Amino acid sequence: MDLGEQIRNKAKELIEIETVDCVIGYERATDGVGARPLFAYKPEEVDRLIFDQTCTHNLAKYLLNRKDKATAIVVKPCDSRAINLLLNESQIQRDKLFIIGVACPGITKTGLNNTSEELQAACQICQQHTPVIYDFLVGEPPASEPDIAEAYADVAAMEGQSAEERRAFWEEQFSRCIRCYACRQVCPGCYCTECFVERLDPLWVGIRIAPEENEVWNTIRAFHLAGRCIACNECERVCPVNIPLSLLNRKLEEEVRELFNFQAGMDAETPAPFATYKKEEVFPEIG
Amino acid sequence: MAIEYQPKIVGFLCNWCSYAGADVAGTSRICYPPNIRIIRVPCSGRIDPLLVVKSFQQGADGVLIAGCHPGDCHYTEGNYYARRRLALLRPFLEYIGIEKERFRVEWVSASEGKKWAQVVSSFTDELYKLGPREMTLAKGTG
Repeated sequence: MDLGEQIRNKAKELIEIETVDCVIGYERATDGVGARPLFAYKPEEVDRLIFDQTCTHNLAKYLLNRKDKATAIVVKPCDSRAINLLLNESQIQRDKLFIIGVACPGITKTGLNNTSEELQAACQICQQHTPVIYDFLVGEPPASEPDIAEAYADVAAMEGQSAEERRAFWEEQFSRCIRCYACRQVCPGCYCTECFVERLDPLWVGIRIAPEENEVWNTIRAFHLAGRCIACNECERVCPVNIPLSLLNRKLEEEVRELFNFQAGMDAETPAPFATYKKEEVFPEIG
Repeated sequence: MAIEYQPKIVGFLCNWCSYAGADVAGTSRICYPPNIRIIRVPCSGRIDPLLVVKSFQQGADGVLIAGCHPGDCHYTEGNYYARRRLALLRPFLEYIGIEKERFRVEWVSASEGKKWAQVVSSFTDELYKLGPREMTLAKGTG
């Protein structure tokens, strides 16, 4: 029985016995090769659910719109970490959720009308192939997770450059930003009703077209996700000008691991690094 | 005639310790460089990384954050939270090309006027050595 069929059977059961009133999953996109999110409310709609290596979206984002409604959701391991993040931050309620976890084989690079065999960058260094939270698991979880020593190779390469080289690199990257905020819209961790970038008084990020305003946006977006980013890498995928946002996110992820021994979304209970402190800790960085 | 480089420092000082410490430096007539612009904040825990990034974007050559010594916070725990955020912010600034020498966090108590003067002096010296921050981004956009 393939993954899609297992998901359809479970979803149909949940809808028919009215455990939930909506199942959020994936269906085939109109181009015939990709996937797109599906909100199934009726048993006949459930038949359109699929799962394969094109199902890239992090659906956990949609739970923020269904806070008080009983919902079932299909999640990959990275998406399941997003659910833990939102539970930890009291944004969603566990008892309203039915989580269909998928043991993920990795998602391939897909575009409109085309798909490839090559795994997405985040999936190539993925160390979590089994969901960290679920009520029902489909697929075969691997016996053990791979130990990828080179997970931060590109971050280390960036750190090896001089300050001027890094400055030049990021200036070029940020200068291309069109501030469409797709990275924010797609991120399950970005749910503020009023983002700092839209505040008018004080005007933190000016509306003029200027690279240095872009820099404030990109820097603070990444920092707001420090210790919160669950590495689904959707921000980088949706960026229309291909800014390597994962280079920023993973730098912070690595630092948070070293400084606070913390990884976001692995469980819903451990307090986030910035929500707690230890009196005795010392940080050589800040003297 | 070329204008001599004067580093611009933005200093965020907590109201209860460091601001009072700077006041002591003043009333004790201790000399220190005038390169620092002091902004008084209620607590070092108030320091949003956004304030730091924004200061650099607006042309600061260095940013100094000063608060009560850990354990002495007026609000008991504000500087413990600040410490965590700023310890992460510093390597991150370095990573995006703002040398970490340009960003300092110091604990200065209300009686440490002398220490305050030393902190500002050594920070200013260091920024003289580093030279002005390359602001290629801001060129021509005012």
